[in-house]
Order: sequence, then C-alpha cells, then structure tokens
Amino acid sequence: MLDISDLSLSFGDKQALDSISLSITSGEKIAIIGSSGSGKSTLISYIYDQLQGSAAYCSQQQGLVESLSVFHNIYMGALGRNSAVYNLFNLAFPFKKPLLEVTAIANSLELDCPISQAVSQLSGGQRQRTAVGRALYQDMPMFIGDEPFSALDPVMGKRLINLVLQQHQTVIMVLHDMDMALQYFDRVIGLRDGRKCIDTDAAALSAEMLQAFYEDSTHFIGASIEPAEIA
Amino acid sequence: MPDLVNMSSTPRQAFFGYWQKVTLILLCVTMACFYWADTEIIALEPWSELQRIGLGFLAPDFLATEYLLEAVWQTVSFALLGVAAGLLFGAPVALFYNKPVVAAACAFIRSIHELFWALLFLQVFGLSPLTGVLAIALPYGATFARVFSDILQQAPIYTLQNIPANTDKVSRYIYGRFAHVMNEIKAYVRYRFECALRSSAILGFVGMPTLGFYLESAFRQGHYHQGAALLILFIIMIGSIPFWCRAKLLPLYFIAALWLLPELTTIDGSLVWRFLSDDILPPMFQSHSMDLLLDDRWQLFAKWFYNIVTEQALPGMLATVLLAVAALGFSYLLALLMTTFSFKPLTGTFIARINNFILLILRSVPEYIFAYIFMLLLGPSMLPAIIALAIHNGALVAYLTGRQSTTTSFSRHFNGKIDGYAYDILPRIYPNMMALLFYRFEVILRETAILGMLGVATLGFYIDSNFSEIRFNGALVLIGATALLNILIDIASRRLLVNASLSHKPC
Repeated sequence: MLDISDLSLSFGDKQALDSISLSITSGEKIAIIGSSGSGKSTLISYIYDQLQGSAAYCSQQQGLVESLSVFHNIYMGALGRNSAVYNLFNLAFPFKKPLLEVTAIANSLELDCPISQAVSQLSGGQRQRTAVGRALYQDMPMFIGDEPFSALDPVMGKRLINLVLQQHQTVIMVLHDMDMALQYFDRVIGLRDGRKCIDTDAAALSAEMLQAFYEDSTHFIGASIEPAEIA
Repeated sequence: MPDLVNMSSTPRQAFFGYWQKVTLILLCVTMACFYWADTEIIALEPWSELQRIGLGFLAPDFLATEYLLEAVWQTVSFALLGVAAGLLFGAPVALFYNKPVVAAACAFIRSIHELFWALLFLQVFGLSPLTGVLAIALPYGATFARVFSDILQQAPIYTLQNIPANTDKVSRYIYGRFAHVMNEIKAYVRYRFECALRSSAILGFVGMPTLGFYLESAFRQGHYHQGAALLILFIIMIGSIPFWCRAKLLPLYFIAALWLLPELTTIDGSLVWRFLSDDILPPMFQSHSMDLLLDDRWQLFAKWFYNIVTEQALPGMLATVLLAVAALGFSYLLALLMTTFSFKPLTGTFIARINNFILLILRSVPEYIFAYIFMLLLGPSMLPAIIALAIHNGALVAYLTGRQSTTTSFSRHFNGKIDGYAYDILPRIYPNMMALLFYRFEVILRETAILGMLGVATLGFYIDSNFSEIRFNGALVLIGATALLNILIDIASRRLLVNASLSHKPC
C-alpha cells in the first residue's frame, strides 16, 4: 500500500528524518513511538500526505474551529462527501441526518457536553475527543493519528483506541504510552533522532526493551522526564 | 555556575526591547513634528463664546431642529446602506487582496476621504441618496477588503490538514478558514457600522440631509442650544448601538432604509458628461479655450501643474504629515493614560465606569466639533486640530484596548497598584495597543481632511477651496496627491507592521 525508501527531511539546519525506509500494507495496526523531537510527527504527516485520499487524519494541533460547535467540528469530517451548497446550509441550519450521526459518534466517544456547545468552552480531553470524532466521521478505511488520546485518562484512552481500531481496517498512530502500543498494536516503529531504530512485531517486544530504547534516546538530552508526561 | 557570570555581563541595553524602541522613536518624532507645526496660541477672548456653548449644553433644545427625525433616520440609513454596499464590494475583493494591483487600487480608493468622494459624486448625482451611499460604500468597501484579508491570513492552517482531502474548494474555505475568524469579522463589521454612522453624519457638512448638516449650521450660526441637543442625540445614538442594532432587526432596518430612501433625483446625463469630459480637465484643455495652439496648451499646462504642486500640494502634504504625526504621538499618550484608568482591578469600579463613559463621549463626538471648540479657545493654528485628533483617536484606541484588558488573564500575584499593572497587565496589552494605534495613523491622516475644511492648511483645506471655487481640475490633482501620500504611508506601515507579526513581539 505504501513504500517509503530512504526518506530524509530537514527543516532549516535540523534534520527531522534521516534515511527512513518502511513499507505499510493494508490491515496493519502500527504504533509509532519515540521521545520528543525524534521525528514522529514529521513521519506521520508525511505518511498522511502519501495516503490522503483513503485516510482520516487527526493531527496533534487538532485544528478545531474555536467558534464553531462540537457538532460542526465533527461534521467537518463529512465535508468531502457532501456538496458545497449542502455544507453551507448545514453551517447555518444543521440537517437532521448529520445531527443524528454526529450525536451517535459523540456518544460513542463519551463526550459529556451538548454538541451545540462551542469548542472554545471545552476541556482538553473534550477537545481531543471532538478531533477524533471528526476523523471517525470521515468514515475512511484508514486512521492516521498523532497522539490523539494524550489528554485522556488511560482507562478512557484504551476504550477509545478500541473504538478506532474496530472502525478502521488500517491504523497508524503516534503514541507515547508504551503499554498501549504493546497491547493494541501488532507492529511497533521506534524513532530516535530521526532514524528508525525499532520496526518489529509488537509480540517480539517487551516493556523492558522499550524502556531501554527510551533511556538510550533520552540520556543524551539529560532530562529523563518530558513535561507532557507529567501532565 | 557559569550562567551567573553570563548574566552579570549582559549589557543594560539588551533589556531595551522592541516596543520600548518603537515608543521612544514615536515620542521623538512627535516632538519634532510638534516643534515644526504651527502651534502658536492666539488668545482670542473666547470666554463669552465658550460660555454660550456651555449654556447650550446646560439647556439643550431638542425641538429647535425641524426634520430632526428625518435627519436621524437618514444618518442611520446612509450608514446601513453604505456598509452593506461596502460589504458586497469588499468581501469578494478580500479574496484577491494579495494581488498587488488589487491592493494598490484599494489603497487608492480608501485614501480618499468620504467627504471628498461625496464632493465628487455631488457634481455627478447632485444631492441624491446615491451620493451619500456611494461616498460611504467605496472607501468602506476598500477597507473591508484589506482588513478581511488581514484577518483571514491569521486563521490557523491546521484545520485544512485535518479535513477530508476530497473536500470541495468552497466548503474548504468556509469551514477551514472563514469559520475561524467569523466572530472577528462580525465584530469588525459592527465596529465599522459605528464609524459609518459618524461618516454619515459628517456627510451633512457638504450638504447631505444627515445630522451633520443641522449640527454644522447650528454651530456655525451660534445656535448652541440646538447644536448641543443634536450632539447629545448623536452621542446617544452611537452609545445605544448595542440596544437598537440587533442582528434580528437588521433585515427590517435594511428594508426600511431601501423603502424610505428619498427619491433618486433624475440624473442629467449631459451634466454628468460635461463634468467628466470638460470640467475636470485642466483649464487650457477645456472647451472654452479651443482656440489655443497645442504647444501653448502643454506649456500652460506645465505651468499650471507646477503652480498647483508647489503652492498647494507640497505645502499641504507637509502640513498634513506634521499634523498627523503630532496627533499620533498625543493619541498614544492619551490612549495609554485612559487604558490604565479603565482597568477596573487597578482603579476600582467607580473610576473605571466614569472613564468608560468619558471614552464613549470622546470617541463619539466628531473631531470636527472638538476642533471647532478648541479653535475658539486657542485661536486658529494646528494646535486645536492636533488636540481634536488626539482626543478622538486616543479615546478610541483606549476603548478597544480597555476591552481587551478586561478579558486578559493576569497572574494571581497582581497587587492592584500601578507597578503591578506595569508588570502584569501592560506588557500583555501593549503590543495590541500599539498595533491599533499604528492602524489609526492611516485614519488620522484621512481625518485631517475634515479639519482642512475648518481652515487648517492641510491637503483637505486646499481640496475644499478648489471645490468651492468650482476648480474641479485642481481638486482632482490634489486628491491624487492625497491618495499618493496615503499609499506611500500604507506601504511603509505594511512593511513595518504586517511582516513582523506584530502582536507577538516581546515588549
């Protein structure tokens, strides 16, 4: 489905990706791990660019529209399916069909706020679930996500990962939770300083090996805990 | 620790930030302009006149003006139709504003004050409502184009990454970009409507049947009881916009405005043609000088043009710039002062409320009236004009910045005193205040036009005299000079402001 060979990308002086080669086949569930600045987000957005037509994307920046409601933000997943006129009318007067569908998605994501609420008033976890909802509503065979559950508690995170895995044939996701990567995904790719260090079956990896991978990649930087993990 | 050594050797000027430099430069330039501007105080014995003005405000006479309701309605109606037409023209143009030709054309249209557009259209359409509506619609539309395009550029781009790849262009634009800034655009249109009310009133100064017509004649004839009543009415009208200008009522007003529009006077085609083909030509090319030889004509033209440029355009430009920069500096000082006063946690509810009320009055009163009153007090020089512009614009910037400071979250350590304010609040609102102030410079420059009509020798003064002497050709050259000046300053300010994503610069 996708073959990447010897990919290098850099921004200014900083080398983000360094000769990465990998191939992805349909049906795989892939977790991408690595410490901050290892090139995960660059890789995943590159993968999305290659697979655009058949994948739903959930970026780390979310790109939610603050002034619009939860409903409209999730509805944006369906923009490609409907005509411009339909989309415009729906902006002013939501149609019944998308209202029902989006309500169902909001319920499955355990969104505990009215879908008429503006996104600007949501909590961090609610925002993340809205962004995931928008990706789910795209109804694509593939889901590409960049830490889509980082602001959720682990229990809910696991329930929602299950939901995403059930609804998509192929899933590629950046994660920082190692347990989740091992438990739910069948292939793990580990990046360090823009290079691919791990690319193997999840079954072949143990938590200890992953721990060692992280310690290796962080001990150059000096700090062992990144702020995001404390939060 | 090595870091400490580094700190102690950091030179003092390293802490002298971007905004401190900008502020210092602004103040220096202001002082220089103020020095060169004509600011002599000519004591006139103004007290008896001032006393009569004061008495007028103590006992305003609301019944003295005939057709008062019509005047109020005309003011609202021109503003409403003008803004609507401006939106129809400006909103689509905003999408192409990145093309230099479009930007230049808009800068040209914008740089000509509503009053001058009105004076031009008066020659063509007469006192028809078309004159009033078009005079507002053109410059407002060009401003909408610029501001909308600026606002849209600031919309985050992340949304576009996340929506389905096969989304059509229109939906992509509306959901992915426009939706982000919808509220900002709405707020801006609302604010421009307030400006349009003022513009619409001011169109009365050149004869349109709005409040300004009655206001100007009342003040000029010394009927201060009537003038005060009109001014109070006008301030109430602006201050009560939130109550009567509801989104739901707008369609109703709009239909009423169209329905109740005074009859369009029939436009005399031959007059229009004469104006366009003969009146606006330089005198030696007009039909009455048919017998001149072509060479002579060009020679006369060169001389005529040279005279206008050296005797009117250049002195006018110089005076305009001196006046505008001096006014900008004083607007800054006033804005800083009044923004501070309007911060409730610092000054308390009572003072903040009074300050906000004063701000409302100061920003609602047309500069023209201030300039008039100060001219009585201080005699005819640039000083009254500088003070009038500074008061009006300083109050406006303070109002907008003050609104921002009420929603700014500050640290829990804020001590409620002026030093706490300077550390905690001011650095957060200062970039925005300065950005607003610099945006106002363009407006101040345009507003010098109105003060020209009071006799301050800005470009507006020369244009007005040309119009009143029925020398359209000369007026046109000077309008061109005004536009040129505005475009040059627009280009300079764009370089200065937009490139360096202004509000993110540290203080």
